Amino acid sequence: MLEIKNLHARVEDKEILRGINLTVNPGEVHAIMGPNGSGKSTLASVISGKSGYEVTEGSVELNGVDLLELAPEERAAAGVFLAFQYPVEIPGVTNTYFLRAALNNVRKHRGEAELSMTEFMKHIKSKVQMMDMDSSLLSRSVNEGFSGGEKKRNEIFQMAVLEPSLAILDETDSGLDIDALKVVSNGVNALRSPDRSVVVVTHYQRLLNYIVPDYVHVLMEGRIVKSGGKELALALEDKGYAFVEEELAAKA
Amino acid sequence: MAGTSEMIDLKSTPHSLVENFNLMKGLLATYGPDELQVLREKAFRNFTEFGIPTTKDEEFKYLSLRALEDGRFAPAYGATIDRFELEQSVLGPIDAINVVFINGEYAPELSSAHALPKGVFIGSLKDGFTVYEEVILEHLGKIANLTGKLGSTNDERFVYLNTAYLTDGAFVYLPKGVSLEQPIHLIYLSKADHGPLVSYPRTLIVLGENSDAKLLESYLGMDGVYFTNAVTEVVMGESAILEHTKFQQEKLESVHIAATSIHQSEDSIYTNNNINFGGHIARNDVNVWLDGEHTETWLNGASVGLGHQAIDNHTRIDHAKPNCNSFEVYKAILGDHALGVFNGKIFVYEDAQKTDAKQTNKAILLSPTATINTKPQLEIFADDVKCTHGATIGQLREDSMFYLQSRGIPKDEARGLLVYAFAAEVLEKVTIASAREVLENALFAKLKESQDMPEKGGE
Repeated sequence: MLEIKNLHARVEDKEILRGINLTVNPGEVHAIMGPNGSGKSTLASVISGKSGYEVTEGSVELNGVDLLELAPEERAAAGVFLAFQYPVEIPGVTNTYFLRAALNNVRKHRGEAELSMTEFMKHIKSKVQMMDMDSSLLSRSVNEGFSGGEKKRNEIFQMAVLEPSLAILDETDSGLDIDALKVVSNGVNALRSPDRSVVVVTHYQRLLNYIVPDYVHVLMEGRIVKSGGKELALALEDKGYAFVEEELAAKA
Repeated sequence: MAGTSEMIDLKSTPHSLVENFNLMKGLLATYGPDELQVLREKAFRNFTEFGIPTTKDEEFKYLSLRALEDGRFAPAYGATIDRFELEQSVLGPIDAINVVFINGEYAPELSSAHALPKGVFIGSLKDGFTVYEEVILEHLGKIANLTGKLGSTNDERFVYLNTAYLTDGAFVYLPKGVSLEQPIHLIYLSKADHGPLVSYPRTLIVLGENSDAKLLESYLGMDGVYFTNAVTEVVMGESAILEHTKFQQEKLESVHIAATSIHQSEDSIYTNNNINFGGHIARNDVNVWLDGEHTETWLNGASVGLGHQAIDNHTRIDHAKPNCNSFEVYKAILGDHALGVFNGKIFVYEDAQKTDAKQTNKAILLSPTATINTKPQLEIFADDVKCTHGATIGQLREDSMFYLQSRGIPKDEARGLLVYAFAAEVLEKVTIASAREVLENALFAKLKESQDMPEKGGE
């Protein structure tokens, strides 16, 4: 279970998150929506431990573990997975080598035995099929020369291999055509399970047609200002973020 | 020739590199046709006149050759290396047409006999003379030669030295239209188990029109303190294609000074992958003369220097004809107190319109005491050309580090992986699969020696 309490964070002098409270139970899918600059990606970055953000107040716990105290690799070992908005290209390191190093480190941390190359290849075989991946991508350098769709597919494939307890999808739909969007969504849906939490960060409702959330939250100016069920996403699609702003103004 | 007044004077001070010549003169004269003796005598006179360069000479500004000053190098002597020892070395068993030399001397027992296409010769220079004397004499000493070429600081002293002692070496000849399936592997082994020695490997590669080959040239140290002074000459006929990888893994006490000179004819494609992990002092000059239109040249370099190693790469591309493209990427990883030097010259001659030349030099410094000196040098005498160069010296990219860490790879391991990848990207240019694997393993093992490098792990 992910528990975020009163989270404040800033980049240099600019306060971006201004008191986030969010609880995601195992098995639930939560969507975080909001206009550009509302703090969606910052929230994803702070949870996964990217440098450059200063947490000034609040806490983030996953299954009782204080994530803010951990290095990014320790958060990964604790079960956090971030699907990047812009996956990084790493020339000179093959996808297979990279994934096996990642998986074995995570396993080591969990007290599980490392996998030999043969065991590893067996482990990933079904996931390659699930993500409809061209297996030649495995022997290529990480994300190098991949199309936008291939990069996003590779992110979800990595998630399938690492089997995290919390998956954060940061604008995974950006730059995807409808076919790629379906493949990526199918992959995420296949990974939904009673012991896994998923946080989908997105600007548009489109992705949520395929990955149907249990809860939708609207993030504005660093705070969650409205929460609801999946119908909230449809309302946002219909009326835009302006209607939430108007509601807030009316209350004030 | 610059700064002759700054040389180490070989005329008045006794030095083994000179004395050896007088000792060996008679023996040298018995090797090869008379024309060779003329070459040797002339080269010896040039070498003794100009002497050993110092850091006051422009082309050796950053590289101290004090290790050569003591001059206790005996002429190369025979040594025994058996097949098992060779296969246990970093080279392992690479499936190729192998031509092996020990301390500069041809070692037929380690070389492999192969059925070759008609007219192809791959073997020792000495055997080559019996079949292709005319071809050899037409090119030997003519390619590694800067006479009449641009440049005010041209320095050929170590080519003179090699030529003065020219005896055996490797000769590769592909007649017109031959495409060789199997890679060629020239292996120069050094084993100085009875005191310091000097050897002078010489290689001549002649590719006929439309021929195509892949060649690996390895310099590997087995034991002791020694000096390898190598010269390789490559002649590319029209439309010929050559992938030429040089792998230098000399002992860390040794000095390796080598020149590789290439002449490219019209429409030829030449790739040079220059990989340097060894040597206390390692110096490479790669000189490409573009003597026909529409040629393509790829110069790739990867060096790793640790401890007190000095690795100095000088390249020059002479765009003497129009419509030629050259692409150059040189990378260096330097740790501890290592020194790296990159000097990349591109000369675009007056007639060489529509030249397209790109040069990139990148270095990663693993420790604050490691140094890189980088100097792109573009001299352009034509007006319609595209020439770019860029140099970066730096740290690893933060976004790459975070990406790896966010997947569970610890910081130290992520750093090791990215340093490895930085150089491995160059090794990927080697398309001989078994050779690439050897190079990757050698790179991995080399990086493990660094005190600044964490274990790569994951294996």
